[in-house]
Amino acid sequence: MGAITALGIVLLALMVLVGGKQGITSFLSMVVNFGILFFSIVLIAFHLPPIIVTVVASVVLLSITIFWSSASDNASITAFQASCVILVLLIAIIIPIEYWAQVGGFGLEDSEELEGLSIYVGIDFTKIAIATAILSSLGAIAEAAIAIASGLDEIVTQHRQITGDALFADGVFIGKQIIGTAVNTLFFGFFGSALALFIWFYGLNYSLGEIINDKIFAAELIAIVVSLIGVVLTIPITTWMMSFRLKRLQAKKPK
Amino acid sequence: MGEMNSKLTSKMTWLQVIGVVLFCFLTTVVFMHNDALYTQPIFQVSRVQAGKKSKMTDEFQNVDHYHQQTLYGEITNGRYAGKHLAINNAYSDSHAMDHHYLKGQKLFITLHTKPHLHATVKDLKRDAPIAFLFALAISLLFVILKWKGVTVIASILVNTMLFWIAIMIDHNNDGAAVIMIFSVLAVIFCFVTLLLVMGWSKKMLVTLSAVLAATALTILITLTVFALTHEKGIYYESMQYVTQLPKPLFIAEVLIGVLGAVMDEATDIVASLATLKAERPELSKMQVFTSGRQIGKSIMGPLINVLFFIFMAETLPMTLLYLKNGNSWQYSFSMNMSLGMTSSLISGIGIVLTVILSSLFAGLWIKGDER
Repeated sequence: MGAITALGIVLLALMVLVGGKQGITSFLSMVVNFGILFFSIVLIAFHLPPIIVTVVASVVLLSITIFWSSASDNASITAFQASCVILVLLIAIIIPIEYWAQVGGFGLEDSEELEGLSIYVGIDFTKIAIATAILSSLGAIAEAAIAIASGLDEIVTQHRQITGDALFADGVFIGKQIIGTAVNTLFFGFFGSALALFIWFYGLNYSLGEIINDKIFAAELIAIVVSLIGVVLTIPITTWMMSFRLKRLQAKKPK
Repeated sequence: MGEMNSKLTSKMTWLQVIGVVLFCFLTTVVFMHNDALYTQPIFQVSRVQAGKKSKMTDEFQNVDHYHQQTLYGEITNGRYAGKHLAINNAYSDSHAMDHHYLKGQKLFITLHTKPHLHATVKDLKRDAPIAFLFALAISLLFVILKWKGVTVIASILVNTMLFWIAIMIDHNNDGAAVIMIFSVLAVIFCFVTLLLVMGWSKKMLVTLSAVLAATALTILITLTVFALTHEKGIYYESMQYVTQLPKPLFIAEVLIGVLGAVMDEATDIVASLATLKAERPELSKMQVFTSGRQIGKSIMGPLINVLFFIFMAETLPMTLLYLKNGNSWQYSFSMNMSLGMTSSLISGIGIVLTVILSSLFAGLWIKGDER
């Protein structure tokens, strides 16, 4: 048995132990997400437009992550709508930034690995960098949207007549509680995945200027800061979505 | 009253939007004119002349185009500031290792003085877009979170410094005790971060012990699984930017990577259980544990996906290149995505263990009469 299969079995066993049926669903959502991710890469390799493939895949990935979580219907629908809006906003930030910073493709640090590979494959790697940045932010957006929507849903269920303003204040309050720790999730993920790169920089005496302008470092930093912006935007946008829904519900059945 | 209130907030919002735009704009302008800070010569392109375009096909029938361009402009810093130069550059449609430079861009160049002053392009100057993005993130944190934003930024700064110190120590040890160094770092990271997020309290100590126990147990399980399966299917040689022994480095990467998520989750669970126990002190230890499991079960799935996307998305360019170089799906996966997958699974194990341990510790140690 391979190590990946064995780790997968350990994870599945633990998830079932903790979550029962929900544990199986959560595990499946990761497996299906992987399938969709890999399938998207294959589609891009067949020269389908990378950004369109990524956007379509992202909507599917978001819906799987959100609807297969154990949040209530009201919370999941709100979280899904909010994360789609944030996805659009992030794409509007990512595309100009990636063209501005031109971080697509590979850096000098990759030279050794690229040995023997043809790099002139006719696919624009700037677009691939855009796809990478979009995909790496998805998990963070989905998680933040679910957390805030679930919290607000709790409040709305207990408090049918709550006003939009009060709900907004509650959303920001919940947001403040989750943001500190959500930022940590992102930054430690970044530190972890860039550890080898940082050791490389230090070992080869890169100056601060060289690090900031380094293609690979800049690409990773852009991905993580964009995710951070996504998480921050989740707070007002999820709350707005929830108050729209609330208004519609209150208008439908007055008392 | 309500209307006045909303008028006031909307006025505030406009001021804030103007503030954010102004701050981002100023930061960008400053970083666009900081050339004097660099010792490397910088060159600003004022005119681009497109040259020959040629078609090329590699052995896998990938078609690409190669373009020549001549860049005219002047050097903006150092002893040759003000000198005008023409530099030749070439780029492909795929931009994998080259750049298509445009008018107005600033580039780092290498100057050659013999036989006469000429230069070659090294790379694009990309500090302005990075600074812009940072300015945007920081101002949004302030606008939406007010003072809470300061703690968030402070904790990032402190952790970045700690991280850099650990890398210094690691380097001075020639990478001998990577796991040891980063385990100690992990403990300090957790302590500092939780102190900033929760303040000094019993809740914080419970969270800290849950985080540390869960992380340690995760590494233990990982090493056991690796030993039992003889690490079949783990291709350390596919790790990027490795300058020292890859296996301990990989473990250290996963250890640091999962830490944030585990802290995130443990904070949530312990805080909710403490509130629950304060409201209903009659709950038994077992009931507290069960509620913790309920909370954990709903957050663990989305949280695992956060790290899954961070670890997997960055493997995309290289996997694509492997596929385009005529490699099979399986080989492309093994050489590029298998380590990301392994990291995601290990993080998943850590996240699930945290649910169990933080519920357990909260059940055992949190008493109802504490505030």
